[in-house]
Amino acid sequence: MNTMFAEQFNEPATNHSTAAPIEHRFNPYSDNGGTILAISGADYAVLAGDTRHISGYSINSRFQPRVHTLPGEKPLIVSANGFSADGETLVRRLAQRVEWYSYNHNKPLSAKSCARLIQTMLYGKRMFPYYVATILAGLDENGRGAVYSFDPVGSYEREQCRAGGAAASLIMPFLDNQVNLKNQVDPATGEPKIATDLSLEDTVKLVKDAFSSATERHIQVGDYLEIKIVTKDGVSVEYFPLKRD
Amino acid sequence: MDHMPENWGRPRSDVYGSYQHAIHSAGPQSHTQVPSITGTSVIAMKFNNGVILAADNLGSYGSLARFTDQERLIKVGKETVVGFSGDASDMQYLESMLERLIIEDNYEQDGHNFRAPHIYEYLSRVMYNRRSKVDPLWNAILVAGKKDDGSPFLGYVDLLGITYSSPCIATGYGAYLAIPLLRKLVSEDEDAKNVTEEQARAAIDESMKVLFYRDARSLDKYTVATVTLDGNVKFDKDVRCQNMNWRFAEGIRGYGTQKQ
Amino acid sequence: MSDPSSINGGSIVAMAGKDCVAIACDMRLGMQALTVSNDFPKIFQYNNSFIGLTGLGTDVTTLSEVFRYKVNMYNLREERDIEPETFANLVSTTLYEKRFGPYFVGPVVAGINSKSGKPYICGFDLIGCINFAKDFVVGGTSSHQLFGMCESLWEPDLEPEDLFETISQALMNAQDRDALSGWGGIVYVITKDKIVKRLLKTRQD
Repeated sequence: MNTMFAEQFNEPATNHSTAAPIEHRFNPYSDNGGTILAISGADYAVLAGDTRHISGYSINSRFQPRVHTLPGEKPLIVSANGFSADGETLVRRLAQRVEWYSYNHNKPLSAKSCARLIQTMLYGKRMFPYYVATILAGLDENGRGAVYSFDPVGSYEREQCRAGGAAASLIMPFLDNQVNLKNQVDPATGEPKIATDLSLEDTVKLVKDAFSSATERHIQVGDYLEIKIVTKDGVSVEYFPLKRD
Repeated sequence: MDHMPENWGRPRSDVYGSYQHAIHSAGPQSHTQVPSITGTSVIAMKFNNGVILAADNLGSYGSLARFTDQERLIKVGKETVVGFSGDASDMQYLESMLERLIIEDNYEQDGHNFRAPHIYEYLSRVMYNRRSKVDPLWNAILVAGKKDDGSPFLGYVDLLGITYSSPCIATGYGAYLAIPLLRKLVSEDEDAKNVTEEQARAAIDESMKVLFYRDARSLDKYTVATVTLDGNVKFDKDVRCQNMNWRFAEGIRGYGTQKQ
Repeated sequence: MSDPSSINGGSIVAMAGKDCVAIACDMRLGMQALTVSNDFPKIFQYNNSFIGLTGLGTDVTTLSEVFRYKVNMYNLREERDIEPETFANLVSTTLYEKRFGPYFVGPVVAGINSKSGKPYICGFDLIGCINFAKDFVVGGTSSHQLFGMCESLWEPDLEPEDLFETISQALMNAQDRDALSGWGGIVYVITKDKIVKRLLKTRQD
């Protein structure tokens, strides 16, 4: 930077660094907290998120849902957690694209294609990213539960389960242990346990436990838990109160 | 003696090199990068028959109380009130945008009227798009009115495009000083059903008084706007903080009671 | 990553059970992303008190020697063993002595009081503020992960064998989500009349 300006204007180097980047007051990003969590099963996928919305240490709203259902008769659910203005914008633009896809092609957008669409939308803002951890949940072409997770610039992967947002680091190892049975061995054989599909009932219990624990130790998580469940019959929602402190 | 006034007060070119014009044009184009005339908190809460909001009448110029009859609550359309805090010129720009929006919608004469959620949607997109150009409108805005289903609406949007809804919202210092008082009455949307307009008004008046006590950029003169679910908008202007008690000032250095 | 407390990596967790306590650590010593040793235990025993030291490797080694010296001096002067509560205060004052040029450590103390038989665990910040916890304490680069694991796995009044399983699962799954911790583990399960030390065989990546 320094040498660039000096050469460009053919100026003698000065002892005070005038060519250093000018300080810029406006920061276009902030953090609105919250956490999301998705788990897929044999014929369902759940995407849950707490409903707290924060700025700094202030609780802006105790009920600002962050898990969204995309339009269409084979619905997908998505949440973009982090900087809420970017998250809401991404989801709205995505919802519009998904809706128009169904009009243009007379068929619903598959989970796989929606995931690729999200990647292109995120990468499209590579130089000024959406500051969000994104998770997409739905059913794949074979009716199995599908969860896709994304980084802010569009790297993505299909997974069994994923936590995102403020308390992701608290929840993710718990998921490894309880969903993928990592570090667990069968006491009879001494062999590592093999993960099998969880029942929807067990999954919802696990989600509630994960969020209750995260609420206990993370100040940005709390108020209410919103659990959205996709099955072949559509999307159902369940609410679960979390601590409000 | 240098007779060129534009050179006065500058580092000497023969010592420091001539002025680097890159400094002037560095970074993205900027208009309102710093607010100048500002308004402080706007506070609002829902009650059983609508939404009530308040903002004082001060336009500050830094720490100078520059304008003392600034109106920061405006009626938009038939049944919506928008409250602005932050930069006054950006507020007036947004006012003109909203006015044009309403006028142009009115040309249709199709019986459709903008309600609070529509105004809110419009404002939030304007705010987000300006922040994405890194040229924000330096405001935090509350939008109050009713939804299409007739229930009360209260939303927040700021210079970053951040949006949220809650039964009690306040901008600026109001978020620290007024929200705890307002949430005592209405913590959830359900609680608003048990709060009358009189109770809500009392809480708002109390909050404005607390803000005047502690927010150095506030005024004891303010406007209260009430939007009721029958679509009525009521403005109560030039309200003064009542029953203030400044006895505590006697014991505090800096209020002018002590000479030394 | 010039933060002194996350150059070498490492994690500690301690848990209280029914008439027992457990303390566990990982085995890694690294230089930023490069692992240089997988045999760097971070738990040290002084009489019936255990301390886990995470943070800057050099400070871990130095402090473990400082505490060995101080506990030996205590033993000579008092002609008795140091109790965990007393040792915790020794740790606290030792750290606060360096208030304005601190050791970059996050210690955790565990033990059973030899008189009352009560389990005792506590944690510290780098300048010696004591966190008296009834349930569990964590420290090191995977503290977030450990908090999440412990908060969901721990329950009151675990028997020694169950406590061992709980603390081991907490440690292993937490360190698997932390690039700076892992490469094996050590678990001590301490009861009034028995100390059981176990080595955990874990992922080596």
